[in-house]
Amino acid sequence: MTPAVSLRRVGVRYGAQPALIDVNLDVAEGERVALVGPSGAGKTTLLRLCNGAIGQTDGEVTILGHRLLGVPDREARVVRRRVGAMYQQLHLVGPLRVIHNVNAGRLGSWSTARALRSLLRPVEVEAARAALASLGIEHKLFERTDRLSGGEQQRVALARVLVQRPDLILADEPVSSLDPSRSDEVMGLLTDVVAGRRALMVSLHDFGIARRRCDRLVGLRHGRVVLDLPASQVTDQHGVDLYRTGL
Amino acid sequence: MSAPARTYPPEVAPAATGPGGPGRRWRFSAGHGWVVGLALLVLWSGWSSGIGREPVVNPYGWPTMRAFWAAALHPDLSPAYLATTADAALTTVAFAVLGTMLAVVIGLVGGVLISEAWWLSRPSGNRVTRIRRRAAWLSGRVSLGVPRGIHEAVWGLFLVSVLGRDPMVGVLAIAIPFGAITAKVYADIIDETAGAPYRALIDAGASRLSAMAYAAVPRSWRDLVSYGFYRFDCAIRSAVILGMIGAGGLGFELSLTFQALRYEQMWTLIYALVVVGAIVDRWGASLRVDAPTRWLQASLLLGGGLTVASGLYLGPDLERLFSGRTWTLLADLAVQALPPTPPTSWSDLLGSAIVTLQMSLLAIAAGGAVGVVTAFVAARDPTHGPVRALLAAAARLLLLTIRAVSPPVWALVLLFVFLPGPLPGALALGVYNAGILGRLFAEVVEDLDRRPAAALRAAGAGAAVTFLYGLVPLATNRFAAYAMYRWEIAIRESVVVGVVGAGGLGRLLEEQRAAFDHRGMLCVVLVLLVLSLMVDFVSAAARRTWR
Repeated sequence: MTPAVSLRRVGVRYGAQPALIDVNLDVAEGERVALVGPSGAGKTTLLRLCNGAIGQTDGEVTILGHRLLGVPDREARVVRRRVGAMYQQLHLVGPLRVIHNVNAGRLGSWSTARALRSLLRPVEVEAARAALASLGIEHKLFERTDRLSGGEQQRVALARVLVQRPDLILADEPVSSLDPSRSDEVMGLLTDVVAGRRALMVSLHDFGIARRRCDRLVGLRHGRVVLDLPASQVTDQHGVDLYRTGL
Repeated sequence: MSAPARTYPPEVAPAATGPGGPGRRWRFSAGHGWVVGLALLVLWSGWSSGIGREPVVNPYGWPTMRAFWAAALHPDLSPAYLATTADAALTTVAFAVLGTMLAVVIGLVGGVLISEAWWLSRPSGNRVTRIRRRAAWLSGRVSLGVPRGIHEAVWGLFLVSVLGRDPMVGVLAIAIPFGAITAKVYADIIDETAGAPYRALIDAGASRLSAMAYAAVPRSWRDLVSYGFYRFDCAIRSAVILGMIGAGGLGFELSLTFQALRYEQMWTLIYALVVVGAIVDRWGASLRVDAPTRWLQASLLLGGGLTVASGLYLGPDLERLFSGRTWTLLADLAVQALPPTPPTSWSDLLGSAIVTLQMSLLAIAAGGAVGVVTAFVAARDPTHGPVRALLAAAARLLLLTIRAVSPPVWALVLLFVFLPGPLPGALALGVYNAGILGRLFAEVVEDLDRRPAAALRAAGAGAAVTFLYGLVPLATNRFAAYAMYRWEIAIRESVVVGVVGAGGLGRLLEEQRAAFDHRGMLCVVLVLLVLSLMVDFVSAAARRTWR
């Protein structure tokens, strides 16, 4: 079985500054992995690496059995559409209707002609409606996205990942701007409704949510993996050690 | 007592300690260098034009000048001439509509293709690919500089010799340079708005075109539409100039009445220009910041309708574009024009280029000076009383009138009382640019932060001090930026006043055209292009230091 993510002795440097050092990590199909660690530990860099947004300086990165960089565009797009992403800022397009923002998740699988046609007369409406229904906001399908509340927009972004049907989902601090109860609710939707049996890598600051919602915790500190345990084996002391200032 | 805390813009921040020691308050910066350098250039231009050294005014022209202005009070309002005027106005508007529409289409396609988002947003592990993409992006940007650097009138002259007399000439002469400018501006708008949502879609495997359609266009379409209407405003003025060189419409009628010395009819046409200008101006302004979406959509529909109507009215011969004869003529022209050869001598050509540069500098200096004064009078201010508001409205009408009348007409009028030479050409450009700069400056004044002025007034300062210390310092940088931007355009426009005999490269171009010297013409156009690219570069550098 090919792992969703496979990193072998990976290093990333921004100029002379190392961001990741000698990282080895495998994420199995369907595994939900939380990335934890202080700010600047390298969580975002690790996610951007898996997204193909940046390249590594050393080592080998394989996503769903393929390389994302240094391959022809067409080939990379086939892999990219199997990787979904959820961002803290959501990156929705405000002036578009909800249906189009949800369908934006399908763009990787659609031809350009189909994508343009759908802007005039939406296609795959039922799939989008079903995705929104599973998140409880199907009645917002044809509203302008920037008229929705923050919580509803968060669900639209989740629906976009849902209709994409990716094999790997990457989420960079998706709940860091939410209050604790909303954080847990959105994380629940992300892990149970959207991810389901798909592989998920999510960076989190809340140790409690990470342990409750994910299968495995990977701790980063100064660009190195310093913790890699099943969620059930992680204790509070691990968190204290990870976020401790100084060494 | 300690000095109040203040934040200074970097270029005027007092140096704490430096070569001059503590207490040195003022430091000469690159920004000041540009101001001094440009001021010296303007003085040099004025001196070269003969002001104060030789006679520049023709005293025998005053009666004609008076007759011209007197006619403003009784324009020819006979039904027959009003019908002629209406017909001419429709022609001019139709040219502007079709030219703008085509320019917007070129701008949309070109804007996407030269945007950073299109070329540089896709990650690539391959260095060669990255360099190739950067090269493609840069060459697209540079190649659009060429059509942009050549004035519509020059495009008109070129196209008429390939396509013959057809409305298509006027449409293309507007659409080609405007398309290039629009593409550049649209690319900037797309790059400013595409941002993270666009990259998120690319990362999820979307094609670039789909990602543009879903993320970049919906976020920027208001800006795209509003800029399109601004270009329409400019296209009306270009259509008048193209009319003067034979495309018909108000420009053509203007030159006819001028040659026949029928000033009453000329004023009928000028008033028609002011009315058309005012309508387009208001329409464009209503689409800027915070326009209701419905009005934007209605304007788009109306624009589409106008395009169809204009096409039917002018009936351009599209077949001609692709006919074999056109290609033969184009090939002939290429043979006749290559290699570009200086018409007389290189030193003569260089001399004309310098005159053109001086004309553009004088034009912006004069236009800017008049524009600043008028702008403070013309700016809308809700605190104004009825008399002051009326004065402001009158100033705005004056600005509208002087920019509605195109520079060649002003040149002809000024030639009543000035001896032929670069000075009347420069002043004609100056008058016209005063109209445009005055309006831009007035917008700056309307947007100014009024709190510093209010604070000064509250502290007991008089009106003059409040104005000088509370308003002027806030506006100068933006005034200067706009003046530089208009300078870039004035150097291109200098060719159209040159054509009526005002000197510089424009006159040289007209002489070569009359002599069918195509090699000479191409050479002059190339020199003009290099000159305008140099001015772009200087202007951009100066604006950067003043930012």
